[in-house]
Amino acid sequence: MNAVRSLAVVLSLSAFASPVLAADWAADAAKSQIKFTGTQAGADFSGRFAHWDAKISFDPANVAAGHAEVGIDIASAATGDTQRDEALPQPEWFDAKKYPQAKFEAKSFRALGGDRYEAVASLTIKGVTKDVTLPFTLQISGDQAHMLGHLDIERSTYNVGEGAWAAPTFVGAKVGIDIDLTAKKK
Amino acid sequence: MTTRYSSVAILLHWLIALAILALLVMGFEMTSLPLGSHLQFVLYQLHKSVGITVLLLSLIRLGWRLSHKAPALPAHMPAWEQALAHLGHFALYGLMLGMPLEGWALVSASVWNIPTVLYGVIPLPHLPVFSTLADKKSAEELLKLLHQAAAWVMIATVVGHAAAALRHHFLIHDDVLTRMLPRWRKF
Repeated sequence: MNAVRSLAVVLSLSAFASPVLAADWAADAAKSQIKFTGTQAGADFSGRFAHWDAKISFDPANVAAGHAEVGIDIASAATGDTQRDEALPQPEWFDAKKYPQAKFEAKSFRALGGDRYEAVASLTIKGVTKDVTLPFTLQISGDQAHMLGHLDIERSTYNVGEGAWAAPTFVGAKVGIDIDLTAKKK
Repeated sequence: MTTRYSSVAILLHWLIALAILALLVMGFEMTSLPLGSHLQFVLYQLHKSVGITVLLLSLIRLGWRLSHKAPALPAHMPAWEQALAHLGHFALYGLMLGMPLEGWALVSASVWNIPTVLYGVIPLPHLPVFSTLADKKSAEELLKLLHQAAAWVMIATVVGHAAAALRHHFLIHDDVLTRMLPRWRKF
């Protein structure tokens, strides 16, 4: 379906002699980061997912037809603390064995004026899919695009931190997700 | 015939003694801190690391003890005192090996399922069986109670052990204490 829609966008663009495949972008993993922040025992911590891949179709001239899909390798989460990193894949947290991948799927985009946009998306973590809206800024210069977005979620929504951990006594309920993406036009 | 403990035995004795004191202080402190404080979390993790260190040192010490004869108790000690001394030492070995193992089981059965990473570097897996118990909550509570009770037995035994050593030194004037003290060699 989405592929068809992307194709339709591409075809309509080519009809106006725009560059072919102008809507497709390739993320530069070396210049991009998917980070998360939280609190543990009153102290802030941050981590990042080292492995993920993104398929992005976005045209500033027709944002509603855009689409993006980001698959995140859950086991690649690292916070720089061995103790915490050993805990993250456990069943109480990400249950990485059972749910190896988290998914972010932007089904459409909205332009908010200037370089501000938002993605109308669904976020799947630990098998739970919820609708989210990701506000972000986007700067395009030439064939390079730089996107910055931030999203706050409640970890309980996705059952991250079960059982004794469900209460925010040790680990805060709110988790921030920061996306810093650099992409090149295909 | 030497009447002193070997340097290895002396070193292990005092390292373990220091570690046990640290474990007791940490143990009482961390269980009285409010749930969720940063210091509490840090103390728990350190307590686990030091506890496993005591287990390893005690295993080495036991191996050394079994392969190197310890100096005999003084002949002037009555039989009942000798029996009590042996019983005390036996209890200490039991606690030195048993408490870390029991603590390891407690950590493994805990509903918190907190991984143990020795000194933040070496991951230590949970003990099998305990980590997959059907009723972890009850098991954890029981093991916790047992660990606390064992701590009091440890305190009583260590106090008895130290008191006996001081009595030998200051009242009986024999070498029971000094033969376990490091000898500072003059060069």
